[in-house]
Parts: sequence; structure tokens; C-alpha cells
Amino acid sequence: MPSPVDLVDLPFLREALFEIVLLSVAGGVVGAWVLLRRLAFYSHAVGSATFPGLVTADATGISPTLLALAVALGYAGGVGAVRAEGERSEAWTALLLVAALATGVILASDVFESGASVDRLLFGTLLGLDASDLWLSGACAVAALAATLAFGRVWAAAGFDPDAAGALGLRTRWADLGLLALVALAAVAAIPAVGALLVSAVFILPAASARLLARSVRGLIGWAVVLALAEGATGLYLAYWLDAPPGPPIAVLGAATYATLAVTAAVSGLRAAAVPA
Amino acid sequence: MSAPRVEVDDLAVGYGGAPALTGVSFTAAAGESVCVLGPNGGGKTTLFRALLGELRPLTGTLSVAARPAYLAQTERTRLDFPVNALDVALMGALAGGPWWRPPSRAAREAAEGALERVGLAGRAGVAFGELSGGERRRALLARALVQDSPVLLLDEPLAGVDPASADLLDSVFRSLRDEGRTLLVSTHDVASAARFDAALCLNGRQVAFGAPAEALTRATLEATYGHELIVLRESGAERMITIQHHHEH
Repeated sequence: MPSPVDLVDLPFLREALFEIVLLSVAGGVVGAWVLLRRLAFYSHAVGSATFPGLVTADATGISPTLLALAVALGYAGGVGAVRAEGERSEAWTALLLVAALATGVILASDVFESGASVDRLLFGTLLGLDASDLWLSGACAVAALAATLAFGRVWAAAGFDPDAAGALGLRTRWADLGLLALVALAAVAAIPAVGALLVSAVFILPAASARLLARSVRGLIGWAVVLALAEGATGLYLAYWLDAPPGPPIAVLGAATYATLAVTAAVSGLRAAAVPA
Repeated sequence: MSAPRVEVDDLAVGYGGAPALTGVSFTAAAGESVCVLGPNGGGKTTLFRALLGELRPLTGTLSVAARPAYLAQTERTRLDFPVNALDVALMGALAGGPWWRPPSRAAREAAEGALERVGLAGRAGVAFGELSGGERRRALLARALVQDSPVLLLDEPLAGVDPASADLLDSVFRSLRDEGRTLLVSTHDVASAARFDAALCLNGRQVAFGAPAEALTRATLEATYGHELIVLRESGAERMITIQHHHEH
């Protein structure tokens, strides 16, 4: 069993840890909004939808980040347009997701014959994180915090009571599009470390657990960041120990944390109900 | 009398098909309260949505002096949202203030004042989802009060509210009117209409508009409610009530 000190002693792990810290801030903040605005499926889909872009970039030598960002923002724009038209957006989100994943697989297996690097794209890697990955995650964390300060009240009011937003005179269309774009940016930032298929591990799982602990929007964001940090750092250590990509252990830890908190909440709720007030 | 705050002339509105509401003409001035009566599907909410600018007039004109504060009839609020009653009331301040900044101290005081006004002063810190149905309704009314609009559209504000709170809200409506605000309040309660300056009866079209004593005759109420109207005779005097079919959305 390796020492946890390796996380800061070994340069490649130190970089990975730094990446996880930045992603936890971005993912925790964005994840709280994803949960409050019921965008969980979208956030999962936008990460996975970048897959064909990543495969193409991998094979052609174009920057995977730029190509993934282009695909993700295009996807965000498409979903935003469908939502603005008032259509049921879930089916469209799913349709676009399946099309993107299938295209990616065909590109990977038949066109570029990428082989081994596909699972790195899908599940993340500890090795080969470079400075641009860290910069993107840092920029995303800053953007998430800044957007929360600017748009947080509008996002909360519109999420709490969509019908009232219009009566309050809020122009939610641009604020909502901004949120979709922010989720897309965060998903792309998370891909190198946790992989296209598991980006929701750093968004949805910590925020869903935080919802069981928080009683305010601010508390939800705070708890989501703290849990994302704890799950990310522990997951990274497990990945190093088990010689696995970091995405899966982080996702499993996130799910286990949620399950534990949910069961605890249910049991204490039952106890509270059993004791007469 | 000053220029009307709300002016509607021969209005018809609908949702794409046949008009849901036709022939509506009325005015409401500053400090006037109008009771909007009608069966479910009679066009009360449709009228409010037209006044909010959410539905375009098919024919006719309407003008509202300011963006109205609105209390919706059906709640689509999310009970799982991590906000308390004070947070909800504070959302009303988004209407006028800078939305990109944290709420000002004045907004906070306005929200606390509005909660006190609707009788929720002691419940400010309670999670919205843990409030009773009537308390939630009052918290949403507080949000509309914080909006501080000269025109308020309240769609069945007393539905699900207990009698004591209903009395409290009645006095809130009176004081809003005394402040010079214009109120349109929809209700099923024919008896309460007498406390308003005017009554507007809708049943797919405008059946009557005028001072309650004149507008609310047995004939107009029958035309408004049809078979939903029940006339009770108690020692000679007639009392009219309506059967309420509350629709769940």
C-alpha cells in the first residue's frame, strides 16, 4: 500500500492532485447549479457528447481541448435552443447524446483505429496531464465562481419558480444559456482527469450528497465543493494504489458517500418521526 | 380621478385556438380594488396572463401602468429547493433592483416587513418545503409585496389559507388599497366580493363589471357560474355560493 504522502511528493501525482482541487471547485459550484436547475442528465450528456471530438483530435493531432470545447458548446447551444422553444428537451438531449457516442465509437474503431487511447478518453488518466489542462480547470473554477456571484440570484429564482421569473421581469433566457455554456466548459475541463463518460462524478454526485446536508443555496455550493475535494483526493489516491484511471474510483466514492448520507438521513428521519414532538 | 392604472378595452385573448376570453372592457384606478369572479376555465387566469404581457391580445387593447406583481394560482414552486421563507420573499426584490448584486439591506428589510405583514414573521427561517400550504401561499404573496409594484394581480390568494389567515390577508388587501395601489384579486368566494370597489364577472366573456352591489345580481351570477351556483335561502334572505372544483396541475 503506497503512502498518501506520495500525492504531494511525486511530481505527476502532485499535478494530478492540483488538477483535482481546481476541478472540485469548478465541479462543486457548477454541480450545485446542475442539481438546482435539474440539468443532471444534460451535464452527463454534454461530457459524453464530446467523445467524437476527442477521438478526432487524438487521431489528427488537433488540440483535444479545443475540439471538445467546440463540440460541447455546440451541444449546449443546441439544447439551449430546444429548451427556449419550450419543447421537451430531455428526449433531444438523449438523441444528441446517443448520436455523438455512436459517431465517436465508429470514428475510433473504423476510421482512425485509435484502439488503446479510447479508454483514456472515456475514463481519464493520471499521466499526461499538462499545464494547459490545469489552466483550463483553473479558468473554469474562476468562471464558475464569478458567474455564481453575478447570476446566482437569477438562477435560483428561476429554478425555484419558473413561472414567476417572467412576472419578476427577469430575462432568464441569456442567464440560462450562460449556465448551459458553463456546464459545457466544466465538463470539458474535467475530461482529461476523469474522462468523458464520468464527468458527472465530479458534478452530480458531490452536489447530490451536499443537498442532503445543506439548507441554503450557499450551503449547498459550499458542501458540494468540500465533498468534491474529499472524494477527488481520496479517489486519486485509490487510483494510484490500484493502478486504475482516476475517474472510476472517484465516481464509486461519490456514489458511496451519497448512499451513506441518504440512508443516514432516512434513518434519522424515521427516528424523528417516532419521537413525539 | 387620476388616469386608470389598468385599462382594458374590448379584449379577446386565447392560446392559439378559439379565444379563451372575449369582450373584456374595464378600468381600475389607483387605490381601487377589483374582485374577479368566474368558474374554473372562465378566463380569470387568462386575463391575468394577458395583463402580465404573457399573452398577446387577439383583438382589443390593454394597458397596465407598471409591471404588475403577480401571485399565481397554481404553484409550480419546487418544494425541494434549499430556500427559506425569507429567501423567497427576497426574490421579489429582483424585480426592481440590480440582479447581479447581493440583496441590499433595504431589500432585506422589505422582505422581513412583507413576511410580518402576511403573518409569517416567526417563520422566516423555515424551509419553504416545510411550510404548510397556506403558509407557502403567504410567503409567495410576501414575494409579490416586496416587488413593490403599484399594480398587484392576485390569482386566488386565499385558496388553501385558513380562516384566521384569510382575515389577515383581507386586511392586507385593504391597506394595499389605502396605499394607493391597484388590486385585481380573483376568488371563488362571491360573498367576499362586497368588500371590493368593483366586481368583474367572467365566463369565457365578460358578464358584468361594476360596483359589487349593482354588478352582482342573481341574474349575472347565474350567467357567470351556471350550474355551479347554489342559492341558499335563510329566513327569507338569499345567499349565493359556488361549488368549487379545484383543479390540480
